[in-house]
Amino acid sequence: MAIIEPAAPTRARRHRALLPGLVVTALLLGAMAGSLAVGSARIPFAEVRDILLSRIMPTGAAPYWKPGIAAIVWDLRLPRILLAALVGAGLGMVGAAMQSATRNPLADPYLLGVAAGAVLGANLAILHVGDILGPATTPLFAFAGALGATLIVLSIARLTGSTTADRLILSGVAVSFVVTACANLLILFADQRSAANVTFWTLGGFGAADWSVLPAPAVALAAGGAWFLAKRRDLNALAMGDETATTLGVRVARARLLHMTAGAFITGVMVSVSGMIGFVGLMTPHLVRMVVGGDNRLVLPASALVGALFLVLADIVSRTIIAPDDLPVGVVTGVVGGLFFVLMLRNRAGG
Amino acid sequence: MTGLRMGFPSLRLLAGLAGAGLALCATSAGQAAPVTVRSCDRMVTVTQPPQRAVSYDSNLTEMMLALDLTDRMAGYIGHRDRMRASALDLFPKAAQLRQIQRGYPNRETLLGEGVDFYFAGWSYGMRAGGEVTPEKLARFGIPVYELTESCVRIGRREKPTLDFLYRDLLNLGRIFGVEARADSLVAGYRRRIDAVSRKIAGKPRLDVFLFDSPGRVAGTAGAHSMPTALIEAAGGRNMADDTPGNWTRISWERVIERDPDAIIMMDFGQGDMRRKMDFLAARPGLRELRAFRQGRILTLGYNELTPGPRNVTAVEKIAEFLHGDH
Repeated sequence: MAIIEPAAPTRARRHRALLPGLVVTALLLGAMAGSLAVGSARIPFAEVRDILLSRIMPTGAAPYWKPGIAAIVWDLRLPRILLAALVGAGLGMVGAAMQSATRNPLADPYLLGVAAGAVLGANLAILHVGDILGPATTPLFAFAGALGATLIVLSIARLTGSTTADRLILSGVAVSFVVTACANLLILFADQRSAANVTFWTLGGFGAADWSVLPAPAVALAAGGAWFLAKRRDLNALAMGDETATTLGVRVARARLLHMTAGAFITGVMVSVSGMIGFVGLMTPHLVRMVVGGDNRLVLPASALVGALFLVLADIVSRTIIAPDDLPVGVVTGVVGGLFFVLMLRNRAGG
Repeated sequence: MTGLRMGFPSLRLLAGLAGAGLALCATSAGQAAPVTVRSCDRMVTVTQPPQRAVSYDSNLTEMMLALDLTDRMAGYIGHRDRMRASALDLFPKAAQLRQIQRGYPNRETLLGEGVDFYFAGWSYGMRAGGEVTPEKLARFGIPVYELTESCVRIGRREKPTLDFLYRDLLNLGRIFGVEARADSLVAGYRRRIDAVSRKIAGKPRLDVFLFDSPGRVAGTAGAHSMPTALIEAAGGRNMADDTPGNWTRISWERVIERDPDAIIMMDFGQGDMRRKMDFLAARPGLRELRAFRQGRILTLGYNELTPGPRNVTAVEKIAEFLHGDH
């Protein structure tokens, strides 16, 4: 896969990316608006619109809808859609950064043990502890697990002097195996009927979203986005190989570790509020590079945009396909995303 | 079976008496004061008796039905056919209930239906970290009462007895303002359980293996499950009562080593019993179990072994099975 091909940013490329960028932005806004009218409760679009308008610009007019319906639109669906967009943007962006930093097209946001750690934390909360800290218990435990696993990976990398991308990734894989084994042990010791709850969390979803869930992923995305964009030259250089990066004045080992840690941190926040959602972080950057080339100045924001669009759409599918029940969104991204990507590959081969 | 027949008329009579009690309560429902009861480790307050309650699956819904609360319910969560098949014989009013959602509910469904109370439990329609939890529903003004037996799943280790069932029924009675009905229902249950206690007095405690699911390890009911309480009330001992937890797993070696006096099988329907019998018959060690060779096997349904009004009949059946004409 010669997909990572950081070309010097040219005006032509930027120009070429403008139209697709506008199209994707329009699609994202359209999908978010349409998504507001979708769900297990049937609410006419006009009513959804009026509820939103009354919240944004209160006119004092008497509402003609039931309070429960207003709560569905404003307190459940809107935060849920925003969460899907935030998580999609975060995973897409981190995926792009991770692939550049490791120069590995198979790198995804869950490198460095983030996934295994998050699952361990979530299992502990869901199976053995319960919501002792309120509804935030599972997210907090999952985040702590992700962070803990990442720290272990980093200290092992330091201890063994593993600063190359390959060795870092392998450390992550090794730690993941150990942590996953521990997570499975927790399932074994748990109530049989609760074990399914863990699967449900792990496969990902936005059903638990409400306004209180949004600040953490929003801050993570904003901070992470600013950081990666500021360091886009580092990432571009790393993607060209360690020697080239060194000649460009990048302290390779340090920069790689830093960016991968930042990525793991952002992913930890995302996974803690949404569970494990595959495909987005791994594939979005590839789709994006097919269109805008390899310069991270374009790839990072475009991956965020496309990732957001993808998860908003995936969430619509997850809410409608077996309504009123939710299909875990990770299942949707895996099936739909995988097939879509194969199609893209075929089209490109044909064109 | 005799216990079941004896139970019915008295139950009907009590329900009739309770109905009269309700008529009295209804007149004062307008100025009903807020009611607060304990639910797992928190207090839940209901400002007025719920009018659009929802309960999770068959055993919890049967508690609502036993309290004759159909007219206070928006419907139930769970599998429609299973619910009808299991509930109708004792509770014909189950046919009036509407299915709200088949799987675990989401908040959107509950809000859209205007639900004002949710009776559920941990792994009975709620999961830790999920979108429907007492705290998450409280934000929308929907109080939740948690099934006492399920509290163990959020870390509250209390040894179950039939008091779990009584407690839940009495608490529901207070929440819905039908205390009299709940009191007489529970009093009737206590009398039947007392009758069982007298019958089994002085008899040896027999070891029972509860066979929930086959596999590489035995799926069974642990120390904190309702079956442990039912078996004890019937003069037996759940052989897995030293394993903590609700529905749990133990090794088949432990079952073989213990060689229990009797086996109780949980019947999930759809050829489930056949599968379990075949499993025991095919396994060396298991087919040599005394209980299997002597055919000391009792089959009980899901609603009899999970917390619900059929627990009392289950105790009578188990007592008869263990200490009847042997």
